[in-house]
Formats: sequence, C-alpha cells, structure tokens
Amino acid sequence: MKFSANNATSAEKQLLEQLDGMKDSTALKILQRFGLPSRRVEAYHYTDLKALMSHVPPLAKSDDLTDSDLGAAGEFDLKDAIKIPVRNGFFGKVSNLAEGFEISENSGSALTERKDMIVALNRALVNNSLNIKISGAPSEILHIDWQIPGSAAHSAGCVEIELEKGAKAVIIETISGSDEAHLGNFGSRIILGEGAEITHILVDVSSRKTTRLQTIEYEIGQNAKMHNLLINSGAKLSRTQIFTNFNGEGAFGDFNGLNLVDEGQHCDITLDTIHKVPNTISTQKFKAVVRNRAKAIFQGRILVESIAQKTDAKMMIQGLMLSEGAQILSKPELEIFADDVQCGHGSTCGELDEDSLFYLMSRGIRRDKATSMLIRAFAEELLEPIKDEQLNGQLSGILDEWLEGKAKV
Amino acid sequence: MSAPMLEIKDLRVSVEDKEILKGVNLIVPAGEVHAIMGRNGSGKSTLSYAIAGRAGYEITGGDVVLDGQSIIDMEPDERAAAGLFLAFQYPIEIPGVATMTFLKSAMNAQRKSRGEEELTIPDFMKAVRGAADKLSINKDMLKRALNVGFSGGEKKRAEVLQMALLEPKMCVMDETDSGLDIDALKVVSEGVNQMRAPGRSMLVITHYQRLLDHIVPDRVHVFSDGQIVESGDKDLALMLESKGYAAFDGAAA
Repeated sequence: MKFSANNATSAEKQLLEQLDGMKDSTALKILQRFGLPSRRVEAYHYTDLKALMSHVPPLAKSDDLTDSDLGAAGEFDLKDAIKIPVRNGFFGKVSNLAEGFEISENSGSALTERKDMIVALNRALVNNSLNIKISGAPSEILHIDWQIPGSAAHSAGCVEIELEKGAKAVIIETISGSDEAHLGNFGSRIILGEGAEITHILVDVSSRKTTRLQTIEYEIGQNAKMHNLLINSGAKLSRTQIFTNFNGEGAFGDFNGLNLVDEGQHCDITLDTIHKVPNTISTQKFKAVVRNRAKAIFQGRILVESIAQKTDAKMMIQGLMLSEGAQILSKPELEIFADDVQCGHGSTCGELDEDSLFYLMSRGIRRDKATSMLIRAFAEELLEPIKDEQLNGQLSGILDEWLEGKAKV
Repeated sequence: MSAPMLEIKDLRVSVEDKEILKGVNLIVPAGEVHAIMGRNGSGKSTLSYAIAGRAGYEITGGDVVLDGQSIIDMEPDERAAAGLFLAFQYPIEIPGVATMTFLKSAMNAQRKSRGEEELTIPDFMKAVRGAADKLSINKDMLKRALNVGFSGGEKKRAEVLQMALLEPKMCVMDETDSGLDIDALKVVSEGVNQMRAPGRSMLVITHYQRLLDHIVPDRVHVFSDGQIVESGDKDLALMLESKGYAAFDGAAA
C-alpha cells in the first residue's frame, strides 16, 4: 500500500507535524513519500521503525534549561575526564577546556546527507552542532555526556570531532536520562587526519523506556587508526548505525561492540564500512548477550571498492542467548569488487556452555555466580583493550550491573 | 573399620534413557584410598559424574551418601561445599576466566557456604603459592586463563592444585593418569599422596595399574558393565594387569 498522510501511524503523524516548516526539508519529504522505514526497506528489515515506534514525544526546547542544568553530570560520571554535558541535544556555554581541544559551534548537523531516515531526521532537527578540533595528544579523556532528563521529549544533537594530523585522543560518549519515553537522535562525525589515532567509546545506559537513534560516521585518513567500542545496555528500542569510509592508504579501523539486552528491549547495531583505497584494514567484533524476551540485531556490510586492493577486512559476530525467548539476528554482508583482498566473516550464536558451567559449579561456585563468570569471560575480550583503569572499571561496572539485573527496567 | 566417608547404595544411573550404572554398591571408609578399575565403556566416568551431579546423569535408583548426608538431590556446588571434589579426566578450558580469579571464587564460595570469612588477598596468594610450588606449577601458568593452552600434564597438575586448595573430604579422581608422562605422573601422585589424611578419602578411577604403584590403594574394585564385579586389596590390581579384565567380567577383551 502506498504511503499517504491518511494511513500514517500516529508516530508518523507526530513527526510530520514536527518537521513542518523546518529549514532542511529532506526528512519531511522522505516521510511524506515513504513514511517511517518498515521491514520492506532492507536496511530496516529487522528494525521496523514504522511498527516499533508508536509515539513521538514533543520536541525538546532549550528555553527550560538553565546554565546549571547544562553543567550537571549525567549518570555515567567519569571523574578525570574533560566533560561536555549535552542536555536534550543542547550544549551549554562552550569554552576551550584544555590544551589540544578547540571547540566551536557550527550551524546544522554535521552528518553527511544520505538516504536514511535517522540521518535525515538528525539533519532536520539539529540547529547547532559542536565542532571539536584535537591536536597533539591531550592526556585527558574527552567525555561527551548526552543527557535526556526531565519529561519525555524528542531531542536531537550532533558533534563533529576532527583529529588533526598525528593527533591522538580518547573520547567517550554516554547516553543517560530519566525514566521516560524519550526519543533521542544523536550524531557523531569523526574525521581522522593523517596518522591520527582515536579510541572512541559509546555507552548507552539510558532508561528502558527510551528510543535512541544514533549515527556515527568515521572518516579514516592515511595511516590513521580508529578503535571503537560500543556498550549498549539501555533503551527500549535502539538503532546504532556506524558509517565508515577508509579514505587513505594504511588506514586501520577496529570496531567492537557489546550489546546487553534484556526483557522487552530491541537493540540494533548496523555497520556500513567502505574500503575506498588500497591497503586498509578493518576488524569487527560484536557480541550480544540476550536475557528473557528481547532482541539483539547486528547487521554489517563491508564494501570493498574495485581499487581497494590488499584490503584486509574481518567481521565476527558472537551471540549468547540466556533464555528461551531471547533472539539474536545477525546479517553479515561482504561486497567485494577488488580481486586481491582478504575478507571474511563469521557468526556464531549459542547458549552458555553446560560443561563449563558444571566445571565451575563442581568447585563450589553457585550457578548464578558461575553464569556471571562465564558471561563476563565472553565479554572480557572487548573490555580488555581499554587500558585506562578508571574507564575500564566503569565500563566493567555496566556489565556487572547488567549481570546483577540492576540495570533500570 | 571407621565410619564411611562415601557410601554408594544400589546406584542406578541412566544417560539419555540408557541405563549405564546397574546397581553400584561401594563403601569408602574415612581416610582410605580406593581404586576403581575397569575397561573403556564400563561406566567408570559415569559413576564419577553421577557422584558430582552433572546434568544429564539421571539417578533412577539408589543413593549416594557423603559423610552421613545424601547428596543426590544437591546441586554440584552444594556437593562441593559438602566436601566432594571431582578431578576431571578432561578439565574444561574456559577462556576469559583468569585462573587466579577462578581459584579465589571457588575457595571463597566454599568458605562462605561453611560460614567462614573470605580469604584475605595475602592469605590467598600464600596458599596458592605454597600449593603450586609442591606441584611444580609456575607463575606463568597461574597467570593464564583457566586451563587454556595448558598441556595434558599441566591440566592434571592444575586439578590437583585445586584439590589441595579446596581441601575436600572426598576426592574422586577420574583417570588422573591419562595424558601424563612418567615424570608428571610422579609429581601428580606425590601431590595426591601428600593429601592423604585420616579425615579424607579418595576414589581413584583408572584404566591402568601403573598409577596405583604411586598412589597405593587400600582397596581395589573391578568395574564392569555398570557394576562392581570384584573387590580386593592392592594385589587385585596386579592380578588384573596380568590376567586382563576378561578374567573378571567374562567378556572378550
């Protein structure tokens, strides 16, 4: 059935209303023509936003926020980091916080225009995005603290991070908020200059009523190195999409994710990785742990363009299903147009190993503790590379809370 | 004879609806070491798994009594807390679980269930180092993930290390000699012999008489087709070695 305003869902109607009169009309036009992406759109086959999004809360306003609101810390509080609090997509007063960081505001979203509803919405809704230029190798971790406090609101925000030639930085973005049915649309565009190196971590500990739509773009330059880690334990519905271009020879990208999903959650991680030049390396390792009736989704496409000879691209997806109602859907895709490449993907899903469980229990360790030890062991490989002790401890803490069932329900 | 540490009464066990143990009767008094010998497929490992409470080993009849307490309705961890230890024939490799973390968790879990305080880190380290030295287990091995990348001999030594640290009342050793060369066999046997004590009993399951030269048993039982068919003193093992199992169970070797 062709989409029209008459058969629009209530979420679509609310979105059409909110987008009416926005400067960037692309999202409005897509929505008017197609509605929200449904399972018939391949990229949204497992995350049918038309069916899953039942309600869009009112647009967030900056008027209600005071300066002290804008300075407060969110739930994930990293002590020694340079913090940039963002409330409902709005930044507080921006100043240059430390040597090596140069911060300014740009008008509009920094995300690249593409045929994607989530990106189009971000581009329509974001008035100002933050631009952070990093030079040298600042010792402090930069923490972008996305907060969605207060009553349910539809918020959008965007940051652009540019690492200059040879720069090196650790950046963490966290999403936390009140226990309301928020809709957040957050974007990060990360550009690595020649020889730059970034560790970029994204953590979702938002409430389990939240819908989080997230887009990350990586542009990886010559000999630059990108290490990414995504830890997802929040949100009722989330879609994290990562678009990456390998633009310079010798570029390296290491993508990692831990998707912790519990009762009623639907969490989608979708990667689109394009190798555009010869001699680049990408590794992808994503793990999902699903408890009770919940769904974890992983989609990963690796595209190797015809000139991108000697590409080395590997993707591994591992899932652990702890309950009968748990679902893990994974779709790896390789599209290779060059003939001299090393590309591979693997996907395995299973339950906890009974033999290992018995072995631990036979030494006196209780079933619940033994189960936690094995889940921790499954996830350890992803956390182990984070060498900063405080950061590693706090990231491990998210897993511990999840294991103890303490995460917000 | 002192009070029994382990009493197995007419134990019947099925695996996937096939009866493997067909009425096992055995008493191991406190402080004694008993050996069970039998050919492949006679049900020896089934006996050890059934005693330890592995899932899928369904007890259809009989009882297992540890130091006066029936354990067949207990979870494996409760059996361990009650004083049982099974040394695995094939210890499980668990990547991502550090050996030291595992040892500490196991020791503290058992202390907790006995109402004792958790070990302090220095006490724990001291205990592990002392026990590891006796078994020629080096620091590198302890730094690795549990059993991961261990050779066959290292795995068996690690099992005996766990046994020494957990101080069980009843040790069941399932083919602890398999995969060991002569030198490793000596080290492991010495480790086991050092643990012999009036309050501790052992059930040593093996194919070969060889192990029993090093760990000398008080009694030897011949296992065949899910039952004990003959019992005797340590000389029975020697007789078995010379005559073969066929002399006892009547089946062709």
